[in-house]
Amino acid sequence: MSNPLKDMDKPDTIFAIGTNMTECHPVAATGLKKALKKGAKLVVADPRKTRLAELAHLHLPIRVGSDVALLLAMAHVIVSEDLIDGQFINERTEGFEQFQSHLAEFTPEWASKICEVPAEDIRTAALWYSQAERGAIYYTLGITEHICGVDNVQSLCNLALLTGNLGKEGTGINPMRGQNNIQGAGDCGAVPANYPGFQPVEDPQFHEKFKNAYNQPELDLGQSMTKVTALNLAGDGIHAMLIDGENTVVTDPDRNHCQRALESLDHLVVIDIFLTETAQLADVVLPASAWGETDGVQANTERRVQRLRAAVTPHGDSKPDWWIISQIARELGVTGFDYQSAKDVFNELCSLSPIYAGLNWDNIGDGNYQWPVPEEGHPGTPILHEDEFKDAKPGLFKIIGYRDPAEVIDEKYPVWLTTGRRLQAYHTRTQTGRASGIDYLLSEETLEVHPEDAKQWELQDGGFVRMASRRGEVILKVETTTRSPRGTVFTSFSFAETNINVLTGSGYDPITQTAELKVCPVSLTPA
Amino acid sequence: MINEPNSTFASGPSIKIDGETIFFSEGETIYEVAKRLQKNIPTLCYDERLEAFGGCRLCVVSVEGIRNPVASCTTKATDGMVVQTAPPEIEKMRRTLLELVSSENRDTQPNPLSGFASQELSALVNKYGARNGRFQGAKSGTSNFKDANPFILRDYEQCISCYRCVRVCAEQEGDYAISVANRGFKTQITTEFDHDLRDSDCTFCGQCVQTCPTGALADKKALRSAELPEEIKKTRTVCPYCAVGCSIDLMTKGNKIVGAQPAMKGPANKGALCIKGQFTFDFIQHEDRLKKPLIKQADGTFKEVEWDEALKAAAKGFARAKAKYGRHSVYGIASGRAPHEAAYTMQKFIRAGFGTHHIDNCSRA
Amino acid sequence: MVIAENDLDLINRWKDEPAPLLPVLHAFHDRDGYLSDEALRTISKSLQIPLADLYGTVTFYHHLSRNPGGLKAPRVCTGNICCLHGAHDILQDLKDQGSEATEMPCSGRCDTYVPVLQGHQTLSGTTAQSLQAHPSPLPPDYPGSYQEALFAQIREPGRNSLKNYPFESLEKVLASTPTQIIETITASKLAGRGGAGFPTGLKWKAVADCDRHPKSIVCNADEGEPGCFKDRTLMDYDPFALIEGMIIAGYATGANRGFIYLRYEYPETNALLEKCLAECYQENLLGKDVLGSGFEFQLYLRRGAGAYICGEEGSLLNSLEGKHPFPRNKPPFPVTHGFEDKPTAVNNVETLCAVPKIIQNGPDWYQSLGLGEHAGTKLISLSGDILRPGNYEIPIGLPLKTLLYDWAGGPLEGRSIQAVTMAGLSGGFLGHQILDTLTLDDPCIRSHGSFLGAGGIMVFDDTRDMVKAAHDAMSFFAHESCGKCFPCRIGTQRLTERLGGEIKNLSPENWVTEVNEIGETMKTTSACGLGMAAPHITESLQKYFPEQVAKATQNAFQAP
Repeated sequence: MSNPLKDMDKPDTIFAIGTNMTECHPVAATGLKKALKKGAKLVVADPRKTRLAELAHLHLPIRVGSDVALLLAMAHVIVSEDLIDGQFINERTEGFEQFQSHLAEFTPEWASKICEVPAEDIRTAALWYSQAERGAIYYTLGITEHICGVDNVQSLCNLALLTGNLGKEGTGINPMRGQNNIQGAGDCGAVPANYPGFQPVEDPQFHEKFKNAYNQPELDLGQSMTKVTALNLAGDGIHAMLIDGENTVVTDPDRNHCQRALESLDHLVVIDIFLTETAQLADVVLPASAWGETDGVQANTERRVQRLRAAVTPHGDSKPDWWIISQIARELGVTGFDYQSAKDVFNELCSLSPIYAGLNWDNIGDGNYQWPVPEEGHPGTPILHEDEFKDAKPGLFKIIGYRDPAEVIDEKYPVWLTTGRRLQAYHTRTQTGRASGIDYLLSEETLEVHPEDAKQWELQDGGFVRMASRRGEVILKVETTTRSPRGTVFTSFSFAETNINVLTGSGYDPITQTAELKVCPVSLTPA
Repeated sequence: MINEPNSTFASGPSIKIDGETIFFSEGETIYEVAKRLQKNIPTLCYDERLEAFGGCRLCVVSVEGIRNPVASCTTKATDGMVVQTAPPEIEKMRRTLLELVSSENRDTQPNPLSGFASQELSALVNKYGARNGRFQGAKSGTSNFKDANPFILRDYEQCISCYRCVRVCAEQEGDYAISVANRGFKTQITTEFDHDLRDSDCTFCGQCVQTCPTGALADKKALRSAELPEEIKKTRTVCPYCAVGCSIDLMTKGNKIVGAQPAMKGPANKGALCIKGQFTFDFIQHEDRLKKPLIKQADGTFKEVEWDEALKAAAKGFARAKAKYGRHSVYGIASGRAPHEAAYTMQKFIRAGFGTHHIDNCSRA
Repeated sequence: MVIAENDLDLINRWKDEPAPLLPVLHAFHDRDGYLSDEALRTISKSLQIPLADLYGTVTFYHHLSRNPGGLKAPRVCTGNICCLHGAHDILQDLKDQGSEATEMPCSGRCDTYVPVLQGHQTLSGTTAQSLQAHPSPLPPDYPGSYQEALFAQIREPGRNSLKNYPFESLEKVLASTPTQIIETITASKLAGRGGAGFPTGLKWKAVADCDRHPKSIVCNADEGEPGCFKDRTLMDYDPFALIEGMIIAGYATGANRGFIYLRYEYPETNALLEKCLAECYQENLLGKDVLGSGFEFQLYLRRGAGAYICGEEGSLLNSLEGKHPFPRNKPPFPVTHGFEDKPTAVNNVETLCAVPKIIQNGPDWYQSLGLGEHAGTKLISLSGDILRPGNYEIPIGLPLKTLLYDWAGGPLEGRSIQAVTMAGLSGGFLGHQILDTLTLDDPCIRSHGSFLGAGGIMVFDDTRDMVKAAHDAMSFFAHESCGKCFPCRIGTQRLTERLGGEIKNLSPENWVTEVNEIGETMKTTSACGLGMAAPHITESLQKYFPEQVAKATQNAFQAP
C-alpha cells in the first residue's frame, strides 16, 4: 500500500476494483465504511454484487478480465475532459504525451462493449475519481490474478499519475495483501529476484554483498526462477523441494498438474502444522509450532512491522520454522545457521536489509514502524512517494493495450467462472475449518449462479452442478443468487472436498507468473 | 513512531480541575482533559473510539457557574472553566445511578472471559457499594438464548441500555446490524425484525461483545473455559489471517488458549477484529496438529520419528539431489503465513546452501 | 430485491424532498394499514437506511403499527383528564365489541372528552356508543378585560381560508431588511412559547449570524404535553398565521426552507395544513419567489408518529432526519447545528403565530399586553375539573384565580379545587394552599418550584386521589421516556412503581427516601427536560399532599 490503513477513512472518492474487502479484509473495510459515513463516494468495479458493491454509489459489474478496458476508458475521459493534474504530471511523471495519444481511441463506448457496463457509468467513475480532492484506489487479487495482472496494476498507476492522487494523505494506490505475512516473505527475500530488502539479485553490488554475508562463493548473479517455473520443471531439472507452510496442491491453479509435479520430485520436505494435502505427498514432514506458540515478526499490508508472541508452548514436539530450516542447513554443513532465537534471526535480517536498517527486535514494540526505516531514530514511512518515487525516478506512464483472458467462453465452455474467498473461511480452511462454530455459518461450498442462468442450465437452487473446464471437473451445490451477474458464476477455493483449482490455471501473467485464477470458462450441467 | 498528539500542552486555553490548572486544545471534552490528569471519572456508556453519547450520566461533574452538573464526556472544555470531578453530592448521585442500574439486572458477576470491557459495571458497582437491594422493581431486557449462534451470547437481562454495542456496530464496524427497539424501560437491543444474528447483517466481528460493559453480550467460545481454575493471562500478538495485521490479545489459562480479544490500541485495528481473528483461534490446539516429525515409508504410510532422524532424512535428500542433479535442482517455497524468521532462513537456506535463487513464496496463488 | 412499481411511486413522491422518512413511512402505513416487513425492506433500500435501524426506529413510535389492520384500530386517549371522564370504560367497551382498541397518551383534545383516534379521524364522546366526529373546539368567547393578540381574530368565520387571510405582515416584511425584522422581534420581548422561554429575537439573530447553508425554520407542532391543545386551535382556525410567521422567520434568518413537525394525533389539522400549503404555493406565497420578492421559501409538512420526546427539539430534529429520535447533546445548539447539522430556528406554533401580529402592530404594542413587568400574552389550555375548559389567551402576569374562577367559571357545583398542574404535567402540581396568590408568569411560578411551560393547566377538584393522579402522570413519563439516559429510563419506571404501590415491602420512610433520591438524581443528571421535569410530580405531591402520601404508603402500599 502506498498509504497507511489509517488513511482509509480519509478519501473523498474511493475506487475499489477487484477487491471483496468486506469479506477478505474486513477490518480494513471498516475504514472505507467510515469514509462513506463522512460523505465519501465509492465506486466499485467487480463482476459480483459484493457487500462492498452494495455500499457503493456506483457499481460497475464489469465482465471478468475486462479491467484494462475499463481503466483505459477512464483515463480517456480524464484526459479528454481535462481533469488531469497538470502540475503533478509536469513535475513528477514522464511519457504523458505518448500516453495521451495512445488513449485517443479508447472511448467509454469502446470499453462499454468489452466490459458490458454502460459507457455513462464509466464516465461517471472517471469524473468522480479525478474530481475528488483525495481519490484513492484500493485493489486486491481481482486485479492481479489475471494474465494481464501487471497491465491492470500499471493501468491503475496511470490513473493515479494523471490525477496526482499519490503521495498525499487519503490517496494512493493501495493493494491489500492477502496473507498475514506475504509482505514479510517479500521483505525477507523469499522471492526469486530479490535479496532481503528488495535488493535485486541481478545487481553485482548486492551479489557481492550476499556472497560475503552468506559465505557462498558460488552464489549466482541473477538466474532467478519462480515457483511456477519450478513446478513446471519438476522431475526435469528440479528434483528436490522444501515447502514451508503452504498447501500448494489446493491453493495453486490446476491441481492435477500441481500434484503430478510434486509427485515427480525425488525428495519433498514439507514443514507444516497439519498433515495437509500437500504434506501427504512429502517424504519427510516436519511439524512446525503454530501461531500463538511462536515468537517472531510479521509485516502487514501497510508495511508495518509487528511482533508475534508465543502464548503457549509448542504442541507436541513441534518447533519454530526457523529452527527446523536451520537444523537442516546445519545437517548439510551450511554455515551461518547458529541462531539461538527468533531474535537472532530477525536482527540478522535487519543488518542486511536497508529498509529494516533502523529496526531491531527490541525497538519494533507493538508495531511502531512502517518501513522503510533506513536508520535508527528514523520515524518510519507511513506514506510512500510523498516527494519522489523510488530511486528519485519520475513516474512513467505505461502504454497498455487490452488483451482477452487466456481462455474465453465458447460453445463448449459458455460460462465465466471467477473464484474468491468468503468471510468465514481463510484459504483452504486448514485453520478456520478446524475452529469450532464456523460450520454454523459456512458448512459447505456452493456455486453462486444467477437465477436466470440456473434456469438456462436447468439447475436447481440447492441441487448439484457438474462444472467442467478444459482441465477437469468438480461437482458442487448450487446457490441461486443475483449476487453473481448473468453469465458468470462464483465459488471459493476454501473447501478441499470441492477443489475448484482442479478447473483453474488457464494462463499466467508473463511477468509475475501469477495465475489467472479469476477467469476460467466452464460448462454447467446438472449433476 | 506513531504520531500521538502530545499528552500535555505547554500553553493555550486552560481549565481548573479539582484545583489543578491544565492546558487543553480546542475541541477536547472535560472528560478527555480530566483523563490526562489521571482523574478516574466513572463511565458506562463511554468508549473512547465512539462518539460521546451522554447516556449513563455517571460522568457528570460540577462546573462553576452552571446550575446542574454537566456530562463531562459531551461537554467541551472552555477557557477558564472550573470543574469539580467528585464533590460529595455528585458522588452520591453516581451511587444512586449505579443502584438504579443494578436494580434492573440479575445479581451476577460476569466472567472476565465474557469480553474486554465486561467488568466495567461490576467494578463500579463494587466500588460504590451499589448492589444493595435498593430501588427494587421490574427487571429490564429479555435475553435471547434461542439464538443458536456459537459465538455471541445475548443475555439482555444484563443489558443496561448504554448502546455501546449498537454504536460500535454502526460507527466502528459499519455494519448497522443491531439497533434499539422500543423505548424507555422497554428498550431492547435487536436486529431487524428481531431475527437471529446469523440472519441479520451481523458479521460476527465481536466488537459488540468486546465493548459491552456488563457481559450481556459475551464471547460464548471463551466462556467454555470459564470453569478452568487458572488465572487468565493475555499475550499481545498479531492476528494470523489476512495482511491487515490486527493486534490481538490471546487469552490463556495455563497452557490452554481460551480466547482472543482485540487490542484496543492496536495500530492497524484500534480494537477491531473480524470473525476470523476473534473466533477461530482454536485450530492451534486442535487434535489434528502434527506432534512429531514423519517419514514416509516404502508402503506410502508415514512413521512418527524423532527430530534427529527426520532432520537427517530431510538433509540427506537435498544432499543427494545436489550430488545427482547439481545445486540448481533444489527449490524452496517459503510461507506467506509464517513469520519473518521462517521466510528469512528459508531464502538463506537456498542462497547460502545452494548458491541459487530458487526460492519463492505463495504470493503467486 | 426488486421494488414493486406502486411502492416506487410512494417513495419517489418523497425521496427528493428533505426529511423524507416520516412521509414515506406514513404513505406505506396509510396504504397498507400497517408497516409490513416487506414495506420496511423497500424503504430501507430506497432511502438507504440500515434495516435494523429502520426497524428499531419504527418500534419507537407509538402509532406506527406492525400488525395488519393496526392503523384502523381505535386508540383511546387515556390522558389524565380523559381518565377522569371514562376513558378506560370506553376502551373496555370497544374491546368487548371486538375491536383491537388500544390506549394512547393524551392526544391534545382535553376540551372534548374522550377523543378516540380511528384511522385519520378523531371521534369523541363519553361512552363507546356516543363516539362521533366533532369539530375542533374554538376558544371560548373572550371573558377578560384585556386585549387578545393571537386569538383576536381566530373566531372570525372563514379565517382559515386563504381568501380571508391578507398576509399583510409578510408584505411589510418583504419591504424591510432581515435585520429590521429581527430588531422588531427582539424589541417585542417575544420569547419561546413552547415552554423554554428563550428570547425569539436572539434565537433568530444567532441563526442569521451563522453563514452555513441551507438554514431551516422548524415549527414544533408536536404538541405532546398532556393537557396542552392550544397549538391545535391555532392551526385549525388560523393556519395562515403560522405559515406567515414561518415565512417571516425564514426571511429574517436567511432560511429558505421550513418544516412543520405536526403531532400524529391531529389528522384533521394535517389535512387542513396540507390544503393551506398547496394554496400558498399556488398563490406564490411559498416557493421559489415569494410574492415576487426574489426570496425563496419552501415549506414542508411532516407528520410525527406518536412520541412525546419528539417535542424536545433535538429529538424532533433527529426524527425529521429519519434517525432514532433520541435527544441530542447540547451544545451545539440547533441555531448553529440543527436540521442536517445546519443552522436552524426551532420555534413553537404559538411563537410563530405571534410574529405577524407583532409586525402588524409593532413591538411596543405586543410588549404592553403583559401585566406589570411582563411582556405579551400566553395561551393557556385549561382542562379538568373546571366549568369552562378550553384555550384562553391571558396577559402574562394574570392571577391564576382570575383565570380559574372569573374566566373559566370555577369548579363544578359543590366542589373545590384541590390542585392544578403546571406546564401540562411537566411542572407538577400546585396545591390549593397557594392557588389564590399565584400569578401566571414564570418568576412567580418558579418561586414555587414549577414553571408555566407550554401553558397546560389541569384542574383536580377535591374528589380526586392525588396519589393516583401522580401515578397516572408518572406512567405517562415512563411510557414516553426515550431510553437514552439512565436516570430517566430507570427513574420514571421506579417512580411509577412506587406511586402505584407495586413495591410491597417498602416502609413509608424508605418509600420517601427512595422516591426523593431518584427524583433528585433525575432532576440533576437527566439528559433532557423529560427526565428533569418528571420528578416535579413526586416532589409537589409530597409538598402539597403529605397526608395523602402518608395514607397510601402506610396502608394501600403495604397490603400483601
